[in-house]
Amino acid sequence: MRYGTTIVDDIGNEHPRRNLSLALKGEIEKRQKAEPNKDVARIKSEFESLTKSANDYDKSLADVRREEKAFLAKAPERKIGFEKTVTDRDAKIRKWCFEAMESAARAEFYGQHIELSYDYELLARQHRMIAEQLPDIASVRRKTLNELEEVTAELERAKQEDQSQAKAEFQQYRQDRLDQRKEEKANLKKLYKEGQISSKAFENEKRQRDLAASEDIRAKKQLLPVEMLSDRKRYLKHRLRHDEKQAITVLHSDIADLRRKTPIEISKRFPWVSYLTISVPGLGQLMLGQSVKSIFFFIGTLYAYLIAIPYALGRGNYRGQGIFGLISLAKGGSRLDRSDIFMIEGVIAIILLVIAFLIFYQSFRDVHKNEKRMIKGIRINNWFETRTVAKRSGFPYFASAPSALVTLFIVLLPIAVTVLISFTNYDPKHQSKFSWIGLANYKQIFLGEGIAGKPFWLITGWTVIWTLFATSLAIFIGFVLALLVNQDRIYGKRFFRTIYLLPWAVPAFITIMFFSIMFSPDGPLTNLLHQLTGQIINIKDSPWGTRIVLILLQGWLGSSYVFLLCTGILQSIPKDLYEAANIDGATGFQQTRHITIPILLFQTAPLMIGQYTFNFNNFSIIYLFNGGGPFEPSKYGNTAGSSDLLISYIYKLTIQKQFQGIGAAITMIVSLVLIFITWIGFSRSKSFREEKL
Amino acid sequence: MIKQKKKGLYLSDRPPLTPLKTILLAISYILLFAYVFVILWPLAQIVLSSFNGSQSQYIRIGGTYQFSFKHFKFLFEEKPFLKWVINTIVIAVATALLTLLFVSFTGYAYSRYRFKGRKASLMAIMLIQTIPTFVGIAAFYTLHSIISAAIPGFSRQMFLVLIYAGGGIASNTFILKGYIDSISTELDDAARIDGCGNFQVYRLIIMPIVRPMLAIIALWSFIGPFLDYMLPSIILGDPEQYTLATGLYTLINDSRNMHQPAFAAGGLLTALPIVILFIALQKQLVSGLASGAVKG
Amino acid sequence: MKIQLNNIGKKYEGRENFTIRNIDLEIDDKDFCVILGPSGCGKSTLLRMIAGLTSITEGDLFFGGKRMNSVEPKDRDIAMVFQSYALYPHMTVYENMAFSLKMRKERKSVIHERVLEAAELLQITEYLYSKPSEISGGQRQRVALGRAIVRKADVFLMDEPLSNLDAKLREHMRVELVRLHQSLETTSIYVTHDQTEAMTMATKIVLLDQGKIQQVGSPTLFYEKPANLFVAGFIGSPTMNIFRGKIKHGHFLSSEEDFVIEPKAKDRELLKPFEGKKVAMGIRSERFIAGKADKNAINVKVDVIEMLGKEQLLYCQFPNGKECVISEPGYFEYAVNEEHNFHLDIEGLHFFDEETTERIN
Ligand SMILES: Nc1ncnc2c1ncn2[C@@H]1O[C@H](COP(=O)(O)OP(=O)(O)OP(=O)(O)O)[C@@H](O)[C@H]1O
Ligand SMILES: [Mg+2]
Repeated sequence: MRYGTTIVDDIGNEHPRRNLSLALKGEIEKRQKAEPNKDVARIKSEFESLTKSANDYDKSLADVRREEKAFLAKAPERKIGFEKTVTDRDAKIRKWCFEAMESAARAEFYGQHIELSYDYELLARQHRMIAEQLPDIASVRRKTLNELEEVTAELERAKQEDQSQAKAEFQQYRQDRLDQRKEEKANLKKLYKEGQISSKAFENEKRQRDLAASEDIRAKKQLLPVEMLSDRKRYLKHRLRHDEKQAITVLHSDIADLRRKTPIEISKRFPWVSYLTISVPGLGQLMLGQSVKSIFFFIGTLYAYLIAIPYALGRGNYRGQGIFGLISLAKGGSRLDRSDIFMIEGVIAIILLVIAFLIFYQSFRDVHKNEKRMIKGIRINNWFETRTVAKRSGFPYFASAPSALVTLFIVLLPIAVTVLISFTNYDPKHQSKFSWIGLANYKQIFLGEGIAGKPFWLITGWTVIWTLFATSLAIFIGFVLALLVNQDRIYGKRFFRTIYLLPWAVPAFITIMFFSIMFSPDGPLTNLLHQLTGQIINIKDSPWGTRIVLILLQGWLGSSYVFLLCTGILQSIPKDLYEAANIDGATGFQQTRHITIPILLFQTAPLMIGQYTFNFNNFSIIYLFNGGGPFEPSKYGNTAGSSDLLISYIYKLTIQKQFQGIGAAITMIVSLVLIFITWIGFSRSKSFREEKL
Repeated sequence: MIKQKKKGLYLSDRPPLTPLKTILLAISYILLFAYVFVILWPLAQIVLSSFNGSQSQYIRIGGTYQFSFKHFKFLFEEKPFLKWVINTIVIAVATALLTLLFVSFTGYAYSRYRFKGRKASLMAIMLIQTIPTFVGIAAFYTLHSIISAAIPGFSRQMFLVLIYAGGGIASNTFILKGYIDSISTELDDAARIDGCGNFQVYRLIIMPIVRPMLAIIALWSFIGPFLDYMLPSIILGDPEQYTLATGLYTLINDSRNMHQPAFAAGGLLTALPIVILFIALQKQLVSGLASGAVKG
Repeated sequence: MKIQLNNIGKKYEGRENFTIRNIDLEIDDKDFCVILGPSGCGKSTLLRMIAGLTSITEGDLFFGGKRMNSVEPKDRDIAMVFQSYALYPHMTVYENMAFSLKMRKERKSVIHERVLEAAELLQITEYLYSKPSEISGGQRQRVALGRAIVRKADVFLMDEPLSNLDAKLREHMRVELVRLHQSLETTSIYVTHDQTEAMTMATKIVLLDQGKIQQVGSPTLFYEKPANLFVAGFIGSPTMNIFRGKIKHGHFLSSEEDFVIEPKAKDRELLKPFEGKKVAMGIRSERFIAGKADKNAINVKVDVIEMLGKEQLLYCQFPNGKECVISEPGYFEYAVNEEHNFHLDIEGLHFFDEETTERIN
C-alpha cells in the first residue's frame, strides 16, 4: 500500500499529514508513480528542503517524546498535590477528581504539541473532555450521596417515631376505598341483573374496578412516611448507579467519536501483523493494542490448540482416533474398538476443526482489516467501541448460538454419520469393524439384489400405494365431513366437531394397538367378521387384508386433522361470497363446487402435501398394527413383511437386523425424495413466496 | 301466542326448504351420525374392556361383563405404569421448556435483527426442517455413548429430550419468526425509548404478545413425547425408563407379557387427559395447524 | 431544551447514497417544530436519529449543549408518539403510561401521581384500567400522548401522530395538541406530510425534500416568502400559481409573451441582475384583483368553479391554454366559460431564479 500525501479518517474526511517524514515519503512515492523511469536518488534530491524539515520534524518529535516521558513520570507527584485540594471522602469521587486534574494537566501538556502529531491532538482533546466532564459526574454523585444520607437519617427517625396514627389513617382510607368498590360492584351487579349491560361488560367493569381500587390503595400506602422514605431511598440508590454509568458511557462515546474523527499516522505499509499472527488468534489483536478483545481470541486459540486439534489427532477421544478414525474405521484395532465410534468421533473432529478454522479466519480477517484501516489513517476501535458494536450487532449471534450448537450436534451430526454409513458394509457380519465399500449398497438397492436389497422395490411399491391411498382416503373423509357439518342447516355443529376430533386427540399408538388387538386371531373384530361372513378371515395373515385395513384405519385416524383444518377455513370464507353467488343464481351444489371446494383445495394444498409426507413416514401404524407383517419370506426375505413401509423397513434393518449400511443407504434415498417433495410444497405455499427473507 | 306467530310468519333468516333439500339434509344427518358411530364404537370398546373384569389376558367382546378395576390395579401394582407416566411427563415438560428457550431467542433474533448470515441460515433452517428426524437413527445410540463419556450424568432421557427439542428448533423458529414479524416494530422502538434493552424488549413486550403462539409451540412439544414410539424404543434401553408408548406396547407385543385389557386401561388413562386438552384447546391447536405448527 | 443539529447526515447500511445530508438546524427551547415534506424525503429518518433509534452517520446532535450522538434512546430524556401509537397491547392504559417510569425505577407514589395527572389532562381517567384494544382510536391517541407526558421529558417527538384519525377528530386533536404544548412548554418536534397541520400548529416549520432542508421558518414566512420554487409549490392550498418567463427591461414577460407584469420598485431593484434571464413568477390565488386595470392585467376564461362558501376558486385558462387558480369572495357572481379581467397585486408577487429555483425578492 502507498503512503499517500494525505490520510483519511473513519468518516471519510481527508487530513493533511503531520508527520513530515511520512509526508516526504508520500511525495517521493507520488513522483515515482508519475515518472516511473526516473532515478530514485534524483527524485530525492528534488525534495531537499522537504527532507530537511522532515529531519527537523523527527528531531523535535523525539524531543517531545522525551518530554512526555518525563511529564508522565511526574504523575504520582502531581497526585500528591491534588490530594490536598480534594475534601471528599467518597473513594469514587476522589478518584474522579484526581483523574480530572491529571487530565487537565495532560490536556495542557499535549495541547502544546498538537501540530506535531494527530496522536497528541487526540490526547489533548480527549483529556480536555475528561477534565471537563468528570467533575460534573463527581458533583452529581456528591449531591445524590448527600441526599441519600439525609433520606437515610430521616428514615431512621421516622422508624423511631410513632406511626400508628398514619397507619390508622391509611387503614381508614383502605376501608373506605374497599367499601366504595363494593358499592360500585353492587351497582354494576344491579345493572347486569336488569339486563342493561352484558355479562362480558360486567366482568370487564368488575376487573377494572378491582384494578383501580388496588392501584389507589397501593399509591396511598406509598404515602406513609416510612414507605415513602424507603421508596425514595431505593430510588436514590438506583440513580446513584444509573446516572454515573450513563454519564461515563457518554464520556466514552464522546472520546470514541473523537477517535473516529482524528486520523492516525503509522509508517507501516504492509499488513504483516495479520499474516504473521495467523496461527495464533488474539496475538494480532494484542499487537495492535486491542488487549481485551485479544483475550477472547486467545480463548479461541486455547480451544483450537487444546481441544480441537488434539481431538482431531486422536487425543482425548472416547475410543476413536480423531479424524484418522474416518479413514481407518478401527481396522485392526482391539475388540473394543468399534468402527461406528471411530466414524462418529471422526465427524465430531471435523466439526471441531471447522469451528476452529472459523475462529482462525475471523481473527485473521479482523486483524487484517484493522491493519489496513490503520494504514489508511483510521484509528481502530478501543475496547469501549468494540463492546458497543458487539452489544448492538452481536445479540442475534449470542441468541442463536445455543440453538445452532444443538442443531449441529444433535441434528446435523447424526445426518452426516448416516450419510457416511451408507457407504460402508455395516451389517450383521461386520458389527464392530466395517469398512468403506463405496456405492455398493446403493447398487444393491437399485438392482434389487442381496438380502436387504431384494425387497426394496416391492416395499417401495407398497409405500407409494399406501401413501397415495391412505392419505387420499383421509383427506376425502375429512373433506366430506367438513362440508357436511358446516352446512347452514345442520344443528349440533359443536357436537359433531367434538366427536370428529377424537381420532386425532386420542394418541394414535393407543388406537392402533387397540385395533391390532381387535384384529388378532380370536380378536373381537375377527370374530365379528366370522359371524357376518361365516368364514374365518384372519386379517393379519392376509397381505391384502392387512393392507386394506391399514388404509381404512389411517383414513379413520387422519380424517380428523383434515376435518379440523377444513372447518377452520370454511368458517373464514366470507359470507358475502355466497350471497353474491346466490344472487347470480348459483344453486347450493354449484356454490359448493365453484366456491367452497376451490378455496379449500387452494388453502390446504401445502398442508395436504405435508399429510402425504407424514404417511410416507408413518412408522407407528405399520409397526404397531401388525409389525409390518404378514411375513412372506419367499418374496420379502426374512426381514420385511408385506405391509412394511420403507421407514419401518429401515427401522428393522438398522435396529433389529443390524444391516445399518444398507439401511442408511435407503434412508438417504428416502430423505432425498422427501426433501424434494416437501421443498416443492414449501416453495408453492404462499407464506414462502411472500416471505420477506 | 308464540305458536300462532310461528304459524303465520316465517321467522328464519334462511330461505325455506324445498322437498329435495329436505331429503339431502336427512341424508347428511344419516351420514354424520353413521360416522359418529364409526368413531365412537372402537373408542367405546377401549373404555368398556378396560373395566371388564371377566377378561384376563385377552379382550373379548360380548360374553359376560363384570365391572371391575382389576386391570387398573394390575397396571399400577404389577407394572411400572406410574413410572412410565412420570418418565413421559418429565420428558415432555423438559422438551417443552427447552424448545421454548431455544425458539424464543432464535425467533426473536431472526425476526428483529438483520445480521450477516441471516439469509443463508434461514435457508438452512428451512432445509433442515424438511429432513425427517429418523435419519439419524443409526447414529443416535453410539452418539449417546460418546457424549455421556464426555459429560458424565448425561442420561438417555436427556438425550431424547435434546433430540426432540433440537429437532423442533428449525420449524418452530420459523413459525415464531413469522408471528413476531406481524408485530409492528414501532412497539420495539417505543420500548427502547421507555428504557428497555435488547433482552427486555423481548421479555417485557414481545413475549407477552406472542404468548399464544408460544403456548401452541409448547403444547405441541409437550404432546410429542406422548405420541412417539420410535425414538424411545431405540434410545431407551431399560423398561424402567420407558415412556407410555413403549411401555404400553410391552403389554401386547409378546404372549408371555400379554395383557390386553390392562393395555386398554393404560390407554384410557393416557388418552383421557390428552383428549380433554385437545377439546379444551381446539381453537388454538387448529390455528397452530393452519400456520404449520406441526409437521405431521 | 434547545436542540441543535450540526451537519447531520444518514446513510443506511446497504444504501449507496446518503438518505439525508447536511442538515443544520436549531430548535429553540419550547419551540413546536414541524418537520414537513413529501413522503419518503427522510422525515422519519431524521426524527429517529434525534430519538436515537437510528444511528447518526455524520454530524453532531446536541440537546441543551450536550452531545447526544451515542447516548441510548432511553437516556436522552425524550418521549415519542408513534404513528400507530405503539401501545403495548398486553398492558392496561395505566400500565402503558407507567411503563417508562417503572423502567426508570421511579418512585411508586410519583408514578401514580403522574399517571393520574396526565390522565386527567387528557380526559382518559375513565379508561385507565382498560386494555388498548378496548378503547377507540382517538382515545388510543390520547393514551399515546399520555405515555409521553408522564415522562416529563425534555423533548417530545411525534411521527405523524394524527394520520390514523378521521378528519374531524384530527382537527380536534390538532387544537388539543397546541393547547397541550402551550401548557407543558416542552420542546416538540412533529413530523407530518400534511401542510395544514404544519401551518396551524408550528412555531417553526422545517421543510425537507430529497434529503435536504428547503426552508426553515415560521408559518407566515413560509406563506409569504417561500425560499424556492419547491416550497412555493408545496405550501398553500390551492397551490401558488407559477408563471414561467423572463425579465425584459425590468418587467416580467411571460414565456408565451401574452402578458407583462411590472414589479414594485423594490423587486425591480432585486431583479436587475436577472435582466434577460429566465425567471419564474408566483402569485397566490387570493392576490388577483377582479376588474380591469391598465397595468398587470390578464384576461382569462373561467373553466371550473369550486364554491367553498365564503370564497370561490376559479380555475381559469389563458387563451393559449395556460392555467391558473384565482380565489374571489363567494358573493361575486361568475359562470363557467365567461371571460373575465383580473389584475395582479404587485405586493403579492414572488420571483424565483429558474436556474437555481431560489427566491429572488
Ligand atoms: N431501514 C432502512 N434501510 C434502508 N433504507 C431506509 C430504511 N428506512 C428508510 N429508508 C429509506 O430512506 C428514505 C426515507 O425514509 P423515511 O421513512 O425517513 O421517509 P418519510 O419522510 O418518513 O416518509 P413517510 O412520509 O412516507 O413516512 C426512503 O427512501 C426509504 O426507502
Ligand atoms: Mg415516516
